[in-house]
Amino acid sequence: MAVNLKRSSGEDSDGGKTSRRRMLGWLTGAGLAGSAGLSAVSNFVFIKPRATYGQPQRFSVGKPEDFPSGTRAILAARGICIVREGTKLAAISITCTHLGCTVGAADTGFACPCHGSRFDQDGNVTGGPAPRPLPWFQITLAPNGEIEVDKDIEIVPGSYLSL
Amino acid sequence: MRFALAIGTFLILVVHGIVFYNQFGHPWERNQNTYFDQAKVLAKTDAEKAALAARKPRIEQIVVSNFGETRVDRCTTCHIATDDPRFSSHAEPVKTHPYSPTLGDFQKDGKWERRHKFSEFGCTVCHDGQGRGLDAEYSHGKDEYWPDPLLGFVTQDNWRKDHAPKLKGKEYMQANCAQCHTDTAFPGTALVTRGRQIFFASNCYGCHRIEGLSDGTIGPDLSDVGRKWKLDYLWGRITDPKSILATSIMPKFNLKEEDVKALVAFLKSRKGRNFAETEIQRFKVKLTGGAELVQATIKPVKINPPEMVKQGEKLVLDRACTACHKLGDRDGGIAPDLSFEGSLRDSEWVYAHFKNPKSTMSDSIMPAFRFTDDEFKAMTAYLMTLRGQATPASGEAIYKNLCLRCHGEKGDGHGPIAEHLDPYPRDLTKAGFMNSKSEARLVNSVRNGVNGTSMPAWGKAVTEEQAKAVLGYIQTTFTKEPRRELKAKAIPETNPVAMSPESVTRGEALFVNRCAGCHGRKGDGKGPNSLDIQPKPRNLRNSFFVNSVDDKRLFESIQYGVQGTAMPPWIDYGLTNNDVGDLVNFIRSINPKTKGGQHAAAIQ
Amino acid sequence: MSPATPPKASFLTALTDLPKNVWKSIFRNPLPSNDLERSSTSFTNFFLHIHPVKVHKNSLRPAYTLGLGLISFFLFVILIVTGILLMFYYVPSTTQAYDRMLDLRGSVAFGTLLRNMHRWGAHGMVAVVFMHLCRVFFTGSYKKPREFNWVVGVILFLLTLFMSFTGYLLPWDQLAFWAITVGTAIAGYAPVIGKDIQFLLMGGTSVGQEALLRFYVLHVAVLPAVLTLAIAIHFWRIRKDGGLSRAEDADPVVSLEAAPADKASVLEPKKLYGFQGLVRGPLPKVGQIPDNTVFSWPNLFLAELFTFVVTLSAILVLSLLFNAPLEEPVNALHPPNPAKAPWYFLGLQEMVSYSAFWGGIGVPGIFVLLLLGTPYMDRSTKGVGKWFSRDRLLANTIFITFVVANIIFVIIGTFFRGANWAFVTPW
Repeated sequence: MAVNLKRSSGEDSDGGKTSRRRMLGWLTGAGLAGSAGLSAVSNFVFIKPRATYGQPQRFSVGKPEDFPSGTRAILAARGICIVREGTKLAAISITCTHLGCTVGAADTGFACPCHGSRFDQDGNVTGGPAPRPLPWFQITLAPNGEIEVDKDIEIVPGSYLSL
Repeated sequence: MRFALAIGTFLILVVHGIVFYNQFGHPWERNQNTYFDQAKVLAKTDAEKAALAARKPRIEQIVVSNFGETRVDRCTTCHIATDDPRFSSHAEPVKTHPYSPTLGDFQKDGKWERRHKFSEFGCTVCHDGQGRGLDAEYSHGKDEYWPDPLLGFVTQDNWRKDHAPKLKGKEYMQANCAQCHTDTAFPGTALVTRGRQIFFASNCYGCHRIEGLSDGTIGPDLSDVGRKWKLDYLWGRITDPKSILATSIMPKFNLKEEDVKALVAFLKSRKGRNFAETEIQRFKVKLTGGAELVQATIKPVKINPPEMVKQGEKLVLDRACTACHKLGDRDGGIAPDLSFEGSLRDSEWVYAHFKNPKSTMSDSIMPAFRFTDDEFKAMTAYLMTLRGQATPASGEAIYKNLCLRCHGEKGDGHGPIAEHLDPYPRDLTKAGFMNSKSEARLVNSVRNGVNGTSMPAWGKAVTEEQAKAVLGYIQTTFTKEPRRELKAKAIPETNPVAMSPESVTRGEALFVNRCAGCHGRKGDGKGPNSLDIQPKPRNLRNSFFVNSVDDKRLFESIQYGVQGTAMPPWIDYGLTNNDVGDLVNFIRSINPKTKGGQHAAAIQ
Repeated sequence: MSPATPPKASFLTALTDLPKNVWKSIFRNPLPSNDLERSSTSFTNFFLHIHPVKVHKNSLRPAYTLGLGLISFFLFVILIVTGILLMFYYVPSTTQAYDRMLDLRGSVAFGTLLRNMHRWGAHGMVAVVFMHLCRVFFTGSYKKPREFNWVVGVILFLLTLFMSFTGYLLPWDQLAFWAITVGTAIAGYAPVIGKDIQFLLMGGTSVGQEALLRFYVLHVAVLPAVLTLAIAIHFWRIRKDGGLSRAEDADPVVSLEAAPADKASVLEPKKLYGFQGLVRGPLPKVGQIPDNTVFSWPNLFLAELFTFVVTLSAILVLSLLFNAPLEEPVNALHPPNPAKAPWYFLGLQEMVSYSAFWGGIGVPGIFVLLLLGTPYMDRSTKGVGKWFSRDRLLANTIFITFVVANIIFVIIGTFFRGANWAFVTPW
């Protein structure tokens, strides 16, 4: 067997065979690349949990009558504040939009103990480093008469649930 | 090669595609979309509609940590309308969970309110099933490996086909209600309460232990039977014990179907510990044995002396005595026939046997049941009235009526109940044994019984002539050898060695040396060789037996052996009468001369 | 280069050539089209440089190797990848492990498939590694100079079994719990140190939380590391021991007329590796010796890719069709009846049912010692490179006896054992 240093080896006289080889090569490559792509995407889908182990994002907080008008009830475990004004209800997040600390109630609204962000009663930023107002979560009256909050769905601040 | 490679990669791509595709379009997503669509139609306000429009299918879950380990119930992912009263007439899975006063639900301002809110209780606490699953097959527990399929709704494929339909019905869920509602008078758990009554009324407690309720030791401990076994197994184990475990000695109780159902529900509710108990309560039950629980379940019968016999009869018939014993045409097939009890035993014996069966028969397997003394007396009085029918005249008829149950159709001792008797009934086909005993002794055994064994004294029912007739029948039918002249044996009338501690010590040394192989070091008949010997070596600690035979008979058995058994003639192996005297003294020394024998103390 | 700014044109060229240059910087070579580039591709690529530039035709014969070693390796790779992914959801806790299995089956996307792949991959690896061991034995490939590599191979086989054994506990179901209870008890029968090993494995007196954590650490950290190292040694030794074994007549006889007379004592043509080989060898003219080698690119690499594709598709298809079993949650009071180990341990379990020491330690121990000692006891050089060579009749017969006995035990254990380990007929 002699060392072959020519750029293309013996088969090039048979052009059909080469083109068939090339096509098969492409097919193989495409198959492998496609599978690899799908696996990569699948793995990301796999790693992203569809159900988390904490409390569910959608939960019931009780009956409307549990929150008399003027209530500003902070449900720390749920991470929300239920606000009721007359017949209007809202669920405002108490997670600071700056770096995720839990804000506390203050005279004027909410105040964050970590970096001094301040929010008004509707969650709008009034001071400190917070970049955005506190989000409002979807709040609905469930068919069984209880108030349901869905932390997966943010709504426009100021849109209340009217009883 | 390259072609195959291309095909291979293509295959991988296809499989990847299938796998990828499978991750989308779950049934639960379709369910949720159906629900959203229909709810939108039912929605009254625009805000409601908008809220529904914003919702997308996702896994719903209720995380409950109030009941034992943390439960994650994802049932509402499919059963999404569970708490939406507008869907009460829809089809599953998008259907409202029914409201019912039985569940404690109540109406307020014309609207139903739930007593057990799903957000607080979850689903599997009542229903069982697999809360984490998202696939009907797995979540409903159809998978044979899931220990708790949806109670009363779902049966598994490997369950017995004839049981499966009986195991459906939501009343089985009472077993889970009873985890919190432990009050025996709670109306919602009627089936469990009924089952508990049957557990006591049918004397299940005599053999089985349930922590805080009973302490039987013959059968398996049922304290957490509900956690270990599924309905199918419980049903089978109650209705036909041998179908599940061939070696089971549990009798068939022939309970009515609704009683079996109640018993199954009750057993299913025994899960070791329930949610309502606290550690303190459990500890108290441990200290008191749970006596008050038992009293609350089954009320003792008040015995009224003039009706004593009648009440006794009712007790005997109602409380499952015939699950083991035979009485008239009821026959449990495990224990002796009671039809002649009045002619065989005296009331003292029967009463003592009731109080503690081992106090009259060392190796009886009958449990000591928890009746009151008055109840025992009434049952004794009833049994004393049972005299059976007049004994027939012919030997064959006598044998079939009286002897067959233990000694068997072929006279070989393998009668229908023989395996539950200890000592085992005598094999009457062994000519060696039958012909080495004098007729007088055999008649004596028949008419006066053999103490400490299940052979009762038939004397009141069988005359000497009848005894001879039945022995003659046995001789010709089973033994099949004519009686021979008995050889004269040189046997001392009384023990030549006086009872003394030295003699006992010598006897014990001899016993360990010569006898322990079969009779065991303790003399209890359970030596290492006993497994292969039939009939079994005599239990020499059976005081009723040992105390009823005289020294002469012990000498005869030891010196000349017992023909037809494994007992050899020790005279051939060099034992002198003095040696045997020491042995007899040793055997006597391990059997105290009290009336009741070794268990006598137990009933005092 | 001068510090002057490069002309605009060359910057454009740099831009247009960017893909080519990036490719070149990574792969150094264009797709090879001549022998020099073929060689260069093999030894300049990190993943390919473990391969020789040229490979003997005999090593490429599917009927000789059956590709078993390579399949084992690819299964190991698949197991590593799926195993790491599964670790994202697994918690080695007695209260959570089983629930996490249910979650993998229920709520995690691709969870079932990955678990199936991991399970069937593990079963496949045990089977293929064992078949690879048989192949090497039947072709006499453990003989000099490959003795040590055989020993490494036997260790790899044992590690594979141990890997599989430790993985068995992790789902924390009935099967797992009782298989491990029995398995650690068998370890307890080893002489002198048995009880200590059992205690170390279980981290307590019974299988519980400690055992689960220990088996987890062994399964995901200790054993994979040891296995990877042993595999690296195994592969490296293949190269250093002169490639795969082959029959003596696999190379053409070379005329030695050209060789100088003083070197005529070295008769066999040797394959050359690098400069050292060139210096030591009898024939300095590389490439001019008539031999039966071909270039690794593309022959070997295509074959390897093909093997990988076949292995992966087999595992994928199996995983699509069959779900990995998950039995009832652990009930420490009630063993399932019969409590069976995984199939590859059923032979062991069957033997253990006769005698715990001899079945669990004695016979397997002797078998392993015999395996390890084989190349040092069988010093004959005949019969290498041929399946079932007549020169190796005795060795092959002994080995087949062991293998068949084990297979029979496995079959008895799988199909003929019912409740209480009583003999039953499956029909």
